[in-house]
Amino acid sequence: MKTNDDRILVEDLYQEFGASLLRYVRKATGNDLQWAEDVVQETLLRAWQNAGKLRRERGLLWAWLLTVARRIIIDDRRRRGVRPQEVEPAEPDAVSTPDGSERSLEAMIVSEALQELSQEHREAIEHTYLRDRTIGEAAEILGIPPGTVKSRLYYGIRALRGILKEKGVAS
Amino acid sequence: MSAPAHNVHEDVAAYALGVLDEEEHQAFEQHLLSCEKCQVELRELSEVPDLLDALRERRSDALSEDRTSH
Repeated sequence: MKTNDDRILVEDLYQEFGASLLRYVRKATGNDLQWAEDVVQETLLRAWQNAGKLRRERGLLWAWLLTVARRIIIDDRRRRGVRPQEVEPAEPDAVSTPDGSERSLEAMIVSEALQELSQEHREAIEHTYLRDRTIGEAAEILGIPPGTVKSRLYYGIRALRGILKEKGVAS
Repeated sequence: MSAPAHNVHEDVAAYALGVLDEEEHQAFEQHLLSCEKCQVELRELSEVPDLLDALRERRSDALSEDRTSH
């Protein structure tokens, strides 16, 4: 049974994060507005389902909403059988946003940062997220136990975040 | 000798990236809701996937340019 408190929280979430969430999701869906709106709606629905359990702290809520939205996008993509490399490029107008050059710079910095990681850490990131594979799929390809992939991914992502922070693109 | 027990807190990275299998994703989400350590880490890692996306976008652009140029 949901209480009034939960309902208020969802309205607050929408008020506070709705616009930023839609902006992020549009970017992640190649500017597919219909899809993006569905993802935002589903994200807030899931937030509502867990509303009572979340600590009401802004940074955490935002991080969690991003994670939920990203997972929904990944699931949608898998269902459609689309790998990221095969996504239709958006119309040139849609992608030439004002921050287009900033995005290319970020891509370059991330690419450099990955080179600074150990091979094991780099591989774990490359064979999972960057190729749109689950831990289980990556474990099979790399011939190592899933727990090892998760562990390498964890230390790899932490190291990557540290480097990106040093380079001034992550906070 | 058995393999070392897997540390559940380490799943936070795979969770943040959305690469856990469905069942594990749900299980970790339940863990997250009651684990302050993982909540802090999720916050810290939250910018990384978007930055990795920048690289994915560049790769996919390069691929489609490559296709159209042939």
